[in-house]
Amino acid sequence: MGDGEALEALMSRYASRIYRLAYGITRSAPDAEEVVQDVFLQIVNKGAGFEGRAALGSWIYRITTNVSLNKRRGKRRELETPLDELLPTFLPDGHRAGDRAFVVADWSSTPDRELLAGESRRLLEAAIDRLPAHYRAVLVLRDVEELSNEEVAEIVGDTVAAVKTRLHRARMALREQLTRDLRTGA
Amino acid sequence: MTCRDAIDILADYVDGAMPAELAAELERHLAGCEPCRAYLATYRKTGMLGAIAGRVDMPAEMQTRLRRFLSEQLRRA
Repeated sequence: MGDGEALEALMSRYASRIYRLAYGITRSAPDAEEVVQDVFLQIVNKGAGFEGRAALGSWIYRITTNVSLNKRRGKRRELETPLDELLPTFLPDGHRAGDRAFVVADWSSTPDRELLAGESRRLLEAAIDRLPAHYRAVLVLRDVEELSNEEVAEIVGDTVAAVKTRLHRARMALREQLTRDLRTGA
Repeated sequence: MTCRDAIDILADYVDGAMPAELAAELERHLAGCEPCRAYLATYRKTGMLGAIAGRVDMPAEMQTRLRRFLSEQLRRA
């Protein structure tokens, strides 16, 4: 297989995944495009040695995550909300704190097509935008790419426990924003 | 088990990575706690929505640009 064919095979296999992860972290199509080019450039520079290697997928995810997080540095930070403001609060006895109507609000039976269209979709995208980038990285790797906690830990260079905590906090923060926004139509 | 304890361990429950005994204890709490039932249902739905929203496709014109970019790089290499 020539270099061109090998690269075409890698593109078919990985370009969409790289773009999905890069976009998920940077939340910007132009930035994600630059990440994809950068990652493929690194693949080209590594030469054919990587072809067929079992670890290639992990390596690509790792490089993509790092390049995407670097690209995010200093950019669009103003959109991100400190996560602590988006986590559930509790009374001293361990029960949920807050307005009863809010803590029992259950919008889960709203049809997906309704939640994924129009204003609801905009609210969902805005809630994802407000998550810190390194939380989005874990969220995409686990919930979109469906990798295991162990695989994600290896990719982001953290412990499995840290990945689990970050994932849970990211999901909670997203849930909190959706619950607030869907109630008020903010 | 308090609501705080229950919400702390929801990720393992949703991901099916919880020992049966602990899952049973959580389910007992959920049976008697409307806020935690609502929390679990919306937490689960949030994960699903995030996953669907995250499945973005690389635009076709971007793929074309990437092919062109990589062909140039290979020619130079």
